[in-house]
Amino acid sequence: MMLVFCFQTLKAEESDASGRLLVSKQILNKYIVQDMDLIVKYTLYNIGNNAATKIVISDTSFNSDTFEHAGGQLKATIDRIPPGANVSHTVVLRPVRIGPYNFTAAKITYETGDESSKVQEAVSSEPGEGYIVAFRDYDKKFSPHLLDWGAFAMMTLPSLAIPFLLWWSSKSKYETLSSKHKKNQKD
Amino acid sequence: MIELNFTDFVVRAQEDDTDDDVDVEGEETGVTDEGGEEEEAVEKPTGSPDADTIILFTKPAVAPGTNLELPAGDLVEFLVGFRNKGPEDFVLETLDASFRYPMDFNFYIQNFSTLAYERPVKPGQEATLSYSFIPAEAFAGRPFGLSINLRYRDLNGRQFYEGVYNETVNIVEIDEGLDGETFFLYVLLGACVVLLLVVGQQFLYSVGKKRVGGGGGGTTHKRHVETGTANHNDVDYEWLPKETLQSLSE
Repeated sequence: MMLVFCFQTLKAEESDASGRLLVSKQILNKYIVQDMDLIVKYTLYNIGNNAATKIVISDTSFNSDTFEHAGGQLKATIDRIPPGANVSHTVVLRPVRIGPYNFTAAKITYETGDESSKVQEAVSSEPGEGYIVAFRDYDKKFSPHLLDWGAFAMMTLPSLAIPFLLWWSSKSKYETLSSKHKKNQKD
Repeated sequence: MIELNFTDFVVRAQEDDTDDDVDVEGEETGVTDEGGEEEEAVEKPTGSPDADTIILFTKPAVAPGTNLELPAGDLVEFLVGFRNKGPEDFVLETLDASFRYPMDFNFYIQNFSTLAYERPVKPGQEATLSYSFIPAEAFAGRPFGLSINLRYRDLNGRQFYEGVYNETVNIVEIDEGLDGETFFLYVLLGACVVLLLVVGQQFLYSVGKKRVGGGGGGTTHKRHVETGTANHNDVDYEWLPKETLQSLSE
């Protein structure tokens, strides 16, 4: 779980001293690919005048037959977010099926921090509909083609090596000839 | 009959009033104002007393007490929070944003797409909507009225259209230190300078050579008289390999 605290002061429009959270849910991937990591980031902004406490993020919007859990927690608890601060939480999932998928909101409950200590329910923003691409299609576009380039290098090798060897053999032959000649002259 | 005439008169009187206003404002804005009047007649933003909306710009981050400054040609993201304080469900329908003329918010300059959400919010619940847009790069350095409006309805079918944000914002130009275009311009200029230097050097070299050759050329050329192979002394052996020369001299 990754927590990032970053202070950000905002003008609070509410007069009563209670915490208020805005929750954004974002999918950080540009391409959602089968069997590759899908990173979901939840950012909680406290824009109220008081600290929000006992925050529980629970996201049940990921079907278990479409997504495999790879890292992070889909049900996370954060003790406290001070006013004007924000906290982000990341979850990594792995899609196992291809096709369109509607990414919907996560549910959040928290205590607003005022005397009533009531539990406030909230829903995050929705990332919307996305399409899970098959790994083969993704690979076609973005793979580095290392094997192909290796094969290409192997195939071009004879056309370079054969003339080089021919030149090398003739060169060494004449070098030995000239050195013999020199020796003969010196003698 | 009398009533009809009366209402007719009222309408005309109103028109006259607005026309007067337009004249006061000036001739240039007159046309735009008339266009705006029609827009105003269509919608008037009103919110439900049971709803509580709030806006937060997440990108760029806003410092407190300062005017909102949006970078032109860059992504702007904001969140709209909605709290249902009433006893009935609300359904959040759409969110739209637009740039208006700062002197007259009825005149549209850039409209951003209206996003449909259709999200129900139960009593006591909160919901967050996210929206992002990119201000046109041509708008850099000018203030605009940014208007963000949320449309929602309650279970009785009553529609509300609430202005979440209605303020003047500055569109600023982001000055990148070195963008690709200027970088390659400098590279091209550098290449031109190098090319000129090389050409100049070649020119000077050839001119110098000609002058030296021309000075002594007359006399040396005269000395060269073709004698065939009769004279063995001025044969140039320099081009021959040393081994051959040695074997020749043996």
